[in-house]
Amino acid sequence: MAYSFPEEVLEHVFSFLSSDKDRNAVSLVCKSWYEIERWCRRRIFVGNCYAVSPGEAAFRGFQPRAGGLGRLRVPVDRGDVGAYPLLEEIKLKRMVVTDECLELISKSFKNFKVLVLSSCEGFTTDGLASIAANCRHLRELDLRESEVEDLSGHWLSHFPDNCTSLVSLNMSCLGSEVSFSALERLVARSPNLRTLRLNRAVPLEKLANLIRRAPQLVELGTGAYSAEIRSDILLNLTEAFSACKQLKGLSGFWDVVPAYLPAMYSVCSGITSLNLSYATIQSFDLVKLVTQCRNLQRLWVLDYIEDSGLEALASSCKDLQELRVFPSDPFGAEPNVSLTEQGLVSVSEGCPKLQSVLYFCRQMSNAALISIAKNRPKMVRFRLCIIEPRAPDYLTLEPLDAGFGAIVENCKELRRLSLSGLLTDRVFKYIGTHAKKLEMLSIAFAGDSDLGLHHVLSGCESLRKLEIRDCPFGDKALLANAAKLETMRSLWMSSCSVSYGACKLLGQKMPTLNVEVIDERGPPDSRPDSCPVERLYVYRMVAGRRVDMPGFVWTMDDEDSGLRFS
Amino acid sequence: MEVQLELALSSGSGKGSDPNQDCDQRKKRSFEEAFMGVKKKDVDDLHETLPLLIWDGNEEKKQQFDGELLEQKHIPKLAISNNREDNFVVVGWPPVKSWRRQFCHQISHRECTTNYVNVENNGGGGGGGRGSNSMYVKVKMEGVGITRKLNLSVHRSYHSLTAKLIAMFGICEENVEKYKLTYQDKEGHWLLARDVPWETFIHSVQRLKLQKMATTFYS
Repeated sequence: MAYSFPEEVLEHVFSFLSSDKDRNAVSLVCKSWYEIERWCRRRIFVGNCYAVSPGEAAFRGFQPRAGGLGRLRVPVDRGDVGAYPLLEEIKLKRMVVTDECLELISKSFKNFKVLVLSSCEGFTTDGLASIAANCRHLRELDLRESEVEDLSGHWLSHFPDNCTSLVSLNMSCLGSEVSFSALERLVARSPNLRTLRLNRAVPLEKLANLIRRAPQLVELGTGAYSAEIRSDILLNLTEAFSACKQLKGLSGFWDVVPAYLPAMYSVCSGITSLNLSYATIQSFDLVKLVTQCRNLQRLWVLDYIEDSGLEALASSCKDLQELRVFPSDPFGAEPNVSLTEQGLVSVSEGCPKLQSVLYFCRQMSNAALISIAKNRPKMVRFRLCIIEPRAPDYLTLEPLDAGFGAIVENCKELRRLSLSGLLTDRVFKYIGTHAKKLEMLSIAFAGDSDLGLHHVLSGCESLRKLEIRDCPFGDKALLANAAKLETMRSLWMSSCSVSYGACKLLGQKMPTLNVEVIDERGPPDSRPDSCPVERLYVYRMVAGRRVDMPGFVWTMDDEDSGLRFS
Repeated sequence: MEVQLELALSSGSGKGSDPNQDCDQRKKRSFEEAFMGVKKKDVDDLHETLPLLIWDGNEEKKQQFDGELLEQKHIPKLAISNNREDNFVVVGWPPVKSWRRQFCHQISHRECTTNYVNVENNGGGGGGGRGSNSMYVKVKMEGVGITRKLNLSVHRSYHSLTAKLIAMFGICEENVEKYKLTYQDKEGHWLLARDVPWETFIHSVQRLKLQKMATTFYS
């Protein structure tokens, strides 16, 4: 190209780009832009490591988990830490991260500030100790839902005395007890601390001491919320909470003793986000707390809240935008609580801003779904899990096609939908016809034939992610809509009726797609072509085929052999 | 550790061998059917269509997010259950994250260890079905000859317990008011259930009795 700016100019221009999406686009323009971009890149977000050859993925020590997903938006040089000298942030999702890797990060990047490991694994508290000890300017350490091998709680004591930069600490997934005095001192010397999520092992009796040192907290995750009932503890806790004038979010609440909930009442009016999804307390006590939070926007709660509790929520919390109700006994044969479709209907009636729902329940009706759809046409995310697979409308015993059909027809802004219950191809026709903004769809135990899949693939213009399990969808719909798959981020099908032959054909026809067959029964070509595969994963390729697949994953590529092993 | 999932089917699959099992679902009409004329579709045929997979506890680690079905990549082994009572189990359903699964398991475990009640049965010894998750107590309704057994560990409120009792004994609406729920505590005293908070009740209940309002309180 004739045009070329001096590198410094481009670098300066790129430094104004903050969005990952823009950065990614820039790095793909040409080699020189790629090089320049990475020099001034400050953040890496690895969400789907399938999109880039994992051998190159990030640094030595970052191994995409075998079969794990991640979104790597920017190709990273192999093993070369010097490639990103200014790196300040690393956010990884569902990847294997080793202690060596964490140590490498902590020692290599002088400006390193943010580490978010979401659902990762492979490291221990020793790795955390390295981060604590060496990252002088650490602002954020967030281990959300990662599986950390908990060798000891001493890692926290590795934060040096002159580390005062901490803004956010989330250690809620850790099991063992950290040194409380070290924690207390860390909190005391972190004036910018806004988010503190403790683990279960931090006892309630000591919580007041911590909070007292951080009255500027915006988000607090408690440890176990139980102690023997003593008035001095209660008083202490009440006083400590009342000093937290900026608190907006609360979580934690393992092992709740209801007698201690009133300690928080003074902050309830400011609370916008409440995560009670570990609080195993009765509806009565949940309601007392929740109805104090008049400005609540987000509530995550167990089904102990029951229909009556949700009704109370609907009357009190008019700003509610997001509701998630989790099952307390998902595998029990019988309902253990009185939570039905009615609870959700009440909330949809009473909360005008409700736009995001995740709801586990044991019965549903078309009437209820139609009601919800009409009440809340601005719904954006609707995920319903009726616990029994293929459960029909419990009143009429019909499929729930009409109900979900009403959802997609009325809720024109719907971006995410998860289906459950008894569903025929008809519901997919409704979805294909109406769900034009739908980006992510999850389907399980639904549909009658390929037509169902065809409706979705041919009709949902905005579809990016589709995941399907145990549906009678097969070759015809898949092959007829092969081109659609190029416009999507990924398709996942497990226990469906897609044959090995069709997978091969897809791989041959579509060179820009990675078509992977995941089958633990052994190499797929040891079985007839007509044999259905256990799992199929199709995604857009950004940097060539994977080469590091585990033994039960095969890629369908465009060579004549049709099969390449890892 | 082998974790076995069971379908939430009303026919009570998978617990057939347990003599304490509440098998009224199969044999008796529920309250709704008896008094509201709702017909329950026979859901037994659903058994045929579901995959037969046993879920090894280790696979749990790779389970999916709630709502996100399929981001687990680790495939559970296709295996036949050793347990002959087992019917079909569905792997990875409902789609609950592994740590939440463990949490739920902890809840029911804790209930069992603190509330375990030894229920008499005919030489069987020990209580509930799979041993660890149940808390069966005897329930007698005044005027009804046969004493029933009820699994208290699945209930979290008086509301759900009452609903269960109504269904179990087929009490029609106008008669519900005529009975009081009483329980025998660890000291052998009979008390009115609703007089105490659920937590207190569940920690001390030994047996239940539905008593007609007109009778004297202590039997």
